Amino acid sequence: MNFDLEFAISTAPLILSAFFTTIWVTVVSSIGAALLGFTWEILRRLNRPLRSLMRFVIDAIRSTPLLVQIYFLYFVLPYYGVTLPALVVGVFALSIYYSGYLAEVFKAGIDAIDSGQFEAAKALGIGRADTIFLVILPQMLRNIAAPMGNYFISLLKATPYLAVIAVPEMFGSALDIASETFRYAEPVLVAGLIFLALAVAIAQAVKGLEQRLLASSKR
Amino acid sequence: MIENLTGTVEITDLDKWYGDFHALRRISLSVADGERIVICGPSGSGKSTLIRCVNQLETHQKGKVSVGGLELKPGAGNLAPIRRQIGMVFQQFNLFPHLSVLGNCTLALTRAKKMPRTEAEALAMENLEKVRIPDQARKYPAQLSGGQQQRVAIARALCMQPKVMLFDEPTSALDPEMIKEVLDVMSALAKDGMTMICVTHEMGFAREVADRIVFMDEGMVIEEATPDVFFSNPRNDRTKKFLSQILH
Amino acid sequence: MSLLEIIAGIFEGFRVTATVTALGLLYAIPFAFVAGVLQHFLPGVRRVLVTTVIEFWRSSPVIVLLFVFYYSLPAFGVRMSAMTVASLVLGLNIGGYGSQAVRAALQALPHGQVEAGLALGLQRWTILLLIELPQALRSMVPTFMNQLIQLIKGTALVSLITLTDMTYRAKELAQVEYNPVGIYSGLLIAYLIICYPVTVLGRSIEQRASYAESKHREF
Repeated sequence: MNFDLEFAISTAPLILSAFFTTIWVTVVSSIGAALLGFTWEILRRLNRPLRSLMRFVIDAIRSTPLLVQIYFLYFVLPYYGVTLPALVVGVFALSIYYSGYLAEVFKAGIDAIDSGQFEAAKALGIGRADTIFLVILPQMLRNIAAPMGNYFISLLKATPYLAVIAVPEMFGSALDIASETFRYAEPVLVAGLIFLALAVAIAQAVKGLEQRLLASSKR
Repeated sequence: MIENLTGTVEITDLDKWYGDFHALRRISLSVADGERIVICGPSGSGKSTLIRCVNQLETHQKGKVSVGGLELKPGAGNLAPIRRQIGMVFQQFNLFPHLSVLGNCTLALTRAKKMPRTEAEALAMENLEKVRIPDQARKYPAQLSGGQQQRVAIARALCMQPKVMLFDEPTSALDPEMIKEVLDVMSALAKDGMTMICVTHEMGFAREVADRIVFMDEGMVIEEATPDVFFSNPRNDRTKKFLSQILH
Repeated sequence: MSLLEIIAGIFEGFRVTATVTALGLLYAIPFAFVAGVLQHFLPGVRRVLVTTVIEFWRSSPVIVLLFVFYYSLPAFGVRMSAMTVASLVLGLNIGGYGSQAVRAALQALPHGQVEAGLALGLQRWTILLLIELPQALRSMVPTFMNQLIQLIKGTALVSLITLTDMTYRAKELAQVEYNPVGIYSGLLIAYLIICYPVTVLGRSIEQRASYAESKHREF
């Protein structure tokens, strides 16, 4: 089968029309992953048995493929009578998968804070809640901003996985076109080029952001 | 033929810039075979840059550097063989942490000089004895004190049987109580007739060992004199000011 | 079918999973070292060229790349077997990430190490091979362990391009018998059995490395 350029071009608008689904899924899943990951990390710090348990949970999440986690949620939940739209299942799966990584990011962020900070806050008579929210959290956020951002970008690049449960994000739309027309080469390649362009755009944006942060920290 | 170099170092009209910054300004210095030179001066005066130009760790833009009559040109292909004739000791020791003391000493012998391992190890032990540390041969750098590490670094350089030794502030990173053991080794080396160029703030060492002291400031050689003249009767005001600061 | 029978059935696909992983490593490891070292060494335009190649493999979603190579390239006359596509794409994707670990580890070494080698009259490539890489290797190992897990997990994707790996076997079983809980739990467990030890091993190596480093710094 030869490559049909005209057909390829005609698929672009259809695939691009799913752009906002991709973005929407990315944003909601990122928030979900951050909240879940933070919860895992807080639980891990509560007491000893929880610490071992949460460590296993986090490692288990990180030791199984995203694809398998998606299948699991998609096929097992209905068995228990929970039928959710594929889009929601997809958001759940991405949130859970990336929560395992973000928990580690939060851990490193908290560990990196100098214990002198807690002591200084105590010595100044600052309350415990104020210490956490005014002293520790701002420093932690600065520590974790870069790795957290990297995982959000990684999550964006994982959204095409949801095509396997027919979520209509960009790659899913491309596969839809493919199965309707029996032509895979064109829509798949167009989707690939769009994702490549997206990756280049993100890289440029990150570079710009880094330079601005660098400039502001120098001031 | 490179193996038969003498230890003469000839620096002629050397200029070096870092971007707009003029680090070395028309420096000329000749060092005879067997001569001991101490270079001193305030920080940022270009003394380390100068000594690093001698073995081309820094490249100059104008002028000439030659050792034993062979010119070292920036980017020239024959740099490595000439460098084997020039030993260098760094402020931060720069020992290879993944290799034992013996491994540090024999690496260049076996790799660059293609010397058989047993021969290289014998030579290494000989030089470790010279720096009085043969019992540490199997240890790793991280297990040694700063003074011991620097002595190993000297032994490593000596193993190449260099004609010239360059010392770039060899005691500046050391705790005070370790400075003497390193200076003692350097003095012994000087007595053996090694050609030496030392960048150092140790004025006691300079007075005792140097044939000539070179004072640098702002990338220029300000004054060149024997230790007697340098310490008792400096001519230049900047030299006087520097000496009054460093000798309290 | 009992859970044990299910897991045994899934492990019939282990050979394919292991083969893709092994072949993937054959692409990943050389690519990581060659690209990382070149990026560290080369000046100017040639460096940009190497960076572009690395970024292509790193920044495109791997599932999309897999489909592009399997479905779109044949339209341009480039035909590869599913196994070749799988190991090439997964391997070079992971290798792209690995190259950044190689480059970062080389750049993190104190410059005095290279200078000491030069001052001893060693050739530049001898210095790379005997002084820089042995030291850099140590700090690369934790990252490499993580990349290995990513590669193993990534192999689940090959079930989408007709390779009969563990995930594919699970989906086959799901067609024989309606038992989503058993089959997809079994699949999660199967990957856990393979990846969890690597995760734990990687974690302990990482801790030992950071301990050794702190000891080093103390001195």
